[in-house]
Amino acid sequence: MITGSEAFWRSLLAEQADVVFGYPGGQIMPVYDTYCEFQDQIRHVLVRHEQGAIHAAQGFARASGRPGVVLVTSGPGATNVVTGVADAMIDSTPVVVVAGQVPCHLLGTDAFQEIDLIGMTTPISKWSYQIRRPEDVAWAVSRAFYIARTGRPGPVVLDFTKDAQTGMVEYAPKPCKFIRSYVPDPPVKEETLQEAARLIDAARKPFVVYGQGILLSGAEKELAAFLEKGAIPAGSTLLGLGALNSDHPQLKGMLGMHGNLAPNVMTQTCDLLVAVGMRFDDRVTGRLSTYARQARIIHIDIDASEIGKLVPVDLGIVGDAKKVLARLTELIAPRTAREWQMEPILCEAVEKHKVIEPEIFPESGELNPGEVVARVAEQVKGEALIVTDVGQNQMLAARYSRFVQTRSFISSGGLGTMGFGLPAAIGAKIGAPERTVVTFLGDGGLQMTFQELGTIMQERTGVKIVLLNNNWLGNVRMWQELFFRERYSCTRMVNPEFTLIAQAYGIPCAHVEKREELVPAIERMLAAEGPFLLDVHVREESMVFPMIPPGRSVDEIMLNNEDWFNYGD
Amino acid sequence: METEKLFEITAYTENQVGLLSAIAGIFTRRSLNIERLLVYPSQIAGVHKFKILTRAAETQIRAVVLQIEKKVDVIKSYYEVDNERSCREIEDVRRFLEERENENKQ
Repeated sequence: MITGSEAFWRSLLAEQADVVFGYPGGQIMPVYDTYCEFQDQIRHVLVRHEQGAIHAAQGFARASGRPGVVLVTSGPGATNVVTGVADAMIDSTPVVVVAGQVPCHLLGTDAFQEIDLIGMTTPISKWSYQIRRPEDVAWAVSRAFYIARTGRPGPVVLDFTKDAQTGMVEYAPKPCKFIRSYVPDPPVKEETLQEAARLIDAARKPFVVYGQGILLSGAEKELAAFLEKGAIPAGSTLLGLGALNSDHPQLKGMLGMHGNLAPNVMTQTCDLLVAVGMRFDDRVTGRLSTYARQARIIHIDIDASEIGKLVPVDLGIVGDAKKVLARLTELIAPRTAREWQMEPILCEAVEKHKVIEPEIFPESGELNPGEVVARVAEQVKGEALIVTDVGQNQMLAARYSRFVQTRSFISSGGLGTMGFGLPAAIGAKIGAPERTVVTFLGDGGLQMTFQELGTIMQERTGVKIVLLNNNWLGNVRMWQELFFRERYSCTRMVNPEFTLIAQAYGIPCAHVEKREELVPAIERMLAAEGPFLLDVHVREESMVFPMIPPGRSVDEIMLNNEDWFNYGD
Repeated sequence: METEKLFEITAYTENQVGLLSAIAGIFTRRSLNIERLLVYPSQIAGVHKFKILTRAAETQIRAVVLQIEKKVDVIKSYYEVDNERSCREIEDVRRFLEERENENKQ
């Protein structure tokens, strides 16, 4: 007989988990005590705040493709992970959260550090379950991993009562490979695929929009083969970045609010839109009532509830992107060209001249944030794993980074969680230790989870932190300038000397204000053995363009404060 | 604007604690009122059945049904227009109340 706590660690090992991000506390102490006997087999990363644990687990999962594991205590420990659970849910990230809970006889009594974690996380998790008996530990842990990583991945929450941790049980692994009420890999009818192939073959101007589903399903090669055989151009969502090499000639760029002109315009001029592993987020579609109305639409997603949720489709295919794309590639006729002529050429020329060159090659003045991203991109040559926070830093990192391999871009997409970047970068580096991990952050987001510099110090995690510091909440400031009559309500930040803080944590750092200092400082950062903080003072009034203002159609695009791009004018 | 109708949603589920609030939450998020809710064991041993009457547009109901079915412990979910049946039920209640009032007068 062993304790429920020991059964828990053995169950983690049975799932090949080898890293746990956590923070101990009263109601999870038996599990932490038992960890002493497992520390040779499982690494525990002690974060500085539970939100750091879950974002690190998300970064780990997205870099490695394996579920991230979080271990926290009840009450405040559990509520502190809630933001990350919601983030992982909307971004389909496999995470297993295990939280301590008061003993069963105290449940529902407002006991010290008791909260209804199941009630709190039910709407924002893929599955949540309270473990009340040591006999349930092996079953629940294995089921949690199975649910987290299969189908459309997502976070699961295990609420682990203290008596289940201390009670004795005869342990046997209970691997979970099947749940009768849950179909993670829905079979696709051959007729449906043939119908899709007919629509694709008949289209004059087909266009593919893809998202993170390509990465989650491991369908990168299948996507490229499909596009190449059909001579179909494509656009990527924010989270789909890296699925195709940035230099692939058929990739026309990023979709959405701050995406490239070409894919947004092509959405409005194609005659067939094939959406794969994406969910038509409003940041991608702009005004729904005018989105791709001229086109027939095929939507491929593993989550049936996404089909027709926002955009009415002509053909919905519920299935795994890898399998569907592989079969579709067999079925479609080979093509060498399509009737795309002016859209991409014109859009790319306008964007280069009006937006990209002024942002990344300014002739004088203060440093632009996009310029910093571009200089880093030139040095890392697309091989770094880029992690972002949320806001202007995120959009610029997405726009001006290059990617030559998959799983190279990690960002909080659906929830837009400021404070995500630093802990996610820690987890990403631990999940992919052989890769260079660069995180772009603003001064606002960095200060939301700044305490994780302590984790970097303790774990010696070699994260390269690029702070795009403008002493403003830059994205909100930009919206105030554009849409709120330049009334800058509560967006100015008085900031500390960030390099002094880095020094306090023993993290090498540099401060850059002048253009000529930038490239040498980036070289120094990348050459450094371990972590590095590069504090770059950028222009205060920085803007991110192009921009599809909220509520506008995806082809109504601002090129700068004055100029609009309207294709067809 | 799509017209709202009464729909009856049926869900067959595992017998799992917390599923009622998980399903109710899907309605809450969309500000949908549940007009009637029944939860009982189905004819299949171990399988529970939810019957939920709600008023909404059909596109919304279709999305709700898929989101219910997405829950790990939900086996299947369906919907049907309940207009006719609920009209019959309303008539039934009206008749019942009238009869009671008549009895009261006598």
